[in-house]
Amino acid sequence: MHTLQESLKLGWVVILALAVLTAIEFVVAIATKDELLFVLLLVVALVKAWLIIQYFMHFGQLWQHVSNAWYGMLYDSDEEDED
Amino acid sequence: MTTHVPNVNHRFNALTINRLGLWLFLVSDASFFIALISSRFFVVGTSRPEGVNQPLGLGLTILLLVSSLTAYRAEAAAEHGDRDGALKMLLATIGMGIVFIVGVGFEWAEAMSHFPPSSAFGTVLFTLTGVHVTHVLTGVLALVFVYFRMRNTAPEVDNQWGVEGAVKWWHFVDVAWVFIYPTLYLLG
Repeated sequence: MHTLQESLKLGWVVILALAVLTAIEFVVAIATKDELLFVLLLVVALVKAWLIIQYFMHFGQLWQHVSNAWYGMLYDSDEEDED
Repeated sequence: MTTHVPNVNHRFNALTINRLGLWLFLVSDASFFIALISSRFFVVGTSRPEGVNQPLGLGLTILLLVSSLTAYRAEAAAEHGDRDGALKMLLATIGMGIVFIVGVGFEWAEAMSHFPPSSAFGTVLFTLTGVHVTHVLTGVLALVFVYFRMRNTAPEVDNQWGVEGAVKWWHFVDVAWVFIYPTLYLLG
């Protein structure tokens, strides 16, 4: 677990990255009408979403829960079998 | 058969079930947004009509992103036992959520004259922003509930999951907007 200071610092880093990406997508959309605009906007949006999901929503801890639940089910079944 | 894992039941605790349940719900709700966003390309392709208020869209985006930071800080503060900090950050997030809803109201008032709901782009814009702002509203309500629950209970009462659940929902609303914003305001 991070300390509170580490968590707050991480929050600032993520929001800074999100701000830069938001500025990039806005400038690119204003400056170009290229057919690649769709792809560029999609890539930027995917990176922004990943930043939020990974760092703000703690996506990593989900895998720990999935494995816990899975092992829980497996071992619970084993115990029931014993009974 | 013997097991080498002691106390296996702790693996199936309430927090695990809560988090897994919420993530499953978020994934299912995301599919709804994916369907709505793809309908934009089906109805109007990649074109964007004149009159879309790009600065307002950018402002709403910045507001929602900053509110995600305050929500994150509220969760971190609650996790580390900083009750006052968590309450302050929750309040800031709620405030920004309300401003966002008002901003969408302005957007709708303006959009009515450029592309009414009966037009193709109007249909897409009002549907997407309408569904999204409903999610924002439920997020604000959840945060208000968590705020008062935390404020009115004794400091030793564990409010961690309540804060975490509401904040995760808020981040999800932000992620949805990350895709809606370029779809409506930038593309074309």
